[in-house]
Amino acid sequence: MSWAAVARKDFDDAVQSRTIWALSGFFILLAIGLTYAYAEVPLLAGGEGTIGGLVFFLAGIVGTFVSVTALVLCYRSIAGEAELGSMKLLLSLPHSRSDVLLGKVIGRTGVLALPLSIGLGIGLAMGILMIGRGSVQPAIVFLLWTFVFALAYVSIIVGLSALTGSTTRAAALSIGFFLLFEFLWDVVPFVVLFVVSGFSIPTSQPDWYPLLGQLSPSDAYVSGLTALLPDVARGTGQPIPGSGVDAFYADPAVGIVILFAWLCIPLAIGYTAFSRSDL
Amino acid sequence: MAAIQLDGVTKRFGSVTALQDVDLTVESGEIFGFLGPNGAGKSTTIDILLDFVRPTTGSATVLGHDAQAESVAVRSKTGVLPDGYHVYDRLTGRQHVAFAVNSKNGNERPIDLLERVGIADAADRRAGDYSKGMTQRLVLAMALAGAPELLILDEPSTGLDPNGAREMRDIIREEADRGATIFFSSHILEQVESVCDRVGILNDGQVVAVNTIGGLRTALKTDSRLEVTLASPDDGAIDAARAVSGVSSVVRDGAVVSIAVTREAKVDAIRAIDEAGYSIVDFTTEESSLEELFAAFTGDGEAASQPEAHIAASEVAE
Repeated sequence: MSWAAVARKDFDDAVQSRTIWALSGFFILLAIGLTYAYAEVPLLAGGEGTIGGLVFFLAGIVGTFVSVTALVLCYRSIAGEAELGSMKLLLSLPHSRSDVLLGKVIGRTGVLALPLSIGLGIGLAMGILMIGRGSVQPAIVFLLWTFVFALAYVSIIVGLSALTGSTTRAAALSIGFFLLFEFLWDVVPFVVLFVVSGFSIPTSQPDWYPLLGQLSPSDAYVSGLTALLPDVARGTGQPIPGSGVDAFYADPAVGIVILFAWLCIPLAIGYTAFSRSDL
Repeated sequence: MAAIQLDGVTKRFGSVTALQDVDLTVESGEIFGFLGPNGAGKSTTIDILLDFVRPTTGSATVLGHDAQAESVAVRSKTGVLPDGYHVYDRLTGRQHVAFAVNSKNGNERPIDLLERVGIADAADRRAGDYSKGMTQRLVLAMALAGAPELLILDEPSTGLDPNGAREMRDIIREEADRGATIFFSSHILEQVESVCDRVGILNDGQVVAVNTIGGLRTALKTDSRLEVTLASPDDGAIDAARAVSGVSSVVRDGAVVSIAVTREAKVDAIRAIDEAGYSIVDFTTEESSLEELFAAFTGDGEAASQPEAHIAASEVAE
């Protein structure tokens, strides 16, 4: 249970970051504001709003907030400590390097969970009061799945941070990851398709094309949410990833698998590098 | 059982060899001073004991555990004051020590440990606002958490004023009295001299001597320095003293002739000068300082010829 001591220390430290609270304040206001707009403006809800509709409405900003905040919160988590020398203090105590990584992931996910709980908690509570109909269950599933998403994103960035002992390189890796998977991912599947079609405009869509689109953590999060709330998704006209494609992986549940892969694989790679490195 | 055992440890960083075939044994319960000039490889040795870096070849055992394979077991019984560390600027002193106590499954109250190192009044201030000396005390308090069997202290008096350095030595003695083994590195020699049971001298990645302070003196044979003041300056007295067996070096500065000599040959040297016809006004004798021994072992010629130029003194002046 050595990771618990690391997690607690790391939470106490990272929760004091002013940058994080600036981002969080913005998110909390945005979540409340959007909820209000959704409940008040029928055009946004595409008719009469429901809790389920609100959930998918909010999921978009959650994707952006979690990815940006996890990046800011975590890119220095391992590399920064190694570069500065506090890692020597940390590893002078009886923690294994896997405990350090696990403690970092848990501690910083805890920090990220605070603004998510506040913003979404207030937003959903407002939504339930203002809309006043439909089941509360989608809101609970949404909150829990959002925590899993935050955990996955934190572990991705901590894993990247563990690859190097330099803050600059850790920043470059994290920003590169963000640009590729969050900023450019809308066009990446098309570019891949263009390349495999022999550098020509493709005439048809192969089966794997929608799968590629779900590979980014945020897309996997939304896709997973669709799988967890299938009736709500259908009822609110959400695009169902993979519909119309006849393959075993053409199911939004693939998003759940992808997100769990993001949760484990970067961290495992980061651990391999970190466990071998000299301080 | 040995508290620390290094067998044939070599560590290379790229093409640089930091440690070359180091063998070293520190017995349980002793205070062991690990001496060497900056860059000799002291911190690398400590880093290997704590699994911060891995040896290229050779093995290290600490408290009966392999330093690499069972590092967590090693560190659960060891208190460490590392070199080149950085504290968590946003956390208070109390939070730092509480983290160490939690991590070690200790039962101390953080405030008691802070009291012991003399910074209890700053317990609830952020460590980022601490002075260098306070930070060093804070990390010592973290090292003391959980009453460790072994204390590894890398340059413990860094950043401490003379008073702080003395308190550090007192704590080292208290911990030794409790039964802990102390392994500490330093390039500040007088501190090692006053507390250590044994010292090891590391130079350029190699262990050049391991002994008690007395044993090192004997090993060097020139364990005393004799200063003879002549009635009038004369180089003839130098030749007379040099001819005595047991004299290793003689230098003259004005009327004062300074002679490095074994304890037994001191009287012979004075008699030889006297019998050669040079009248002696005064003479003083003192045990050679560790600085001179250290210089002799590490080949630092300048310090050897200027024993008054205390490395420690210049360190304090910084």
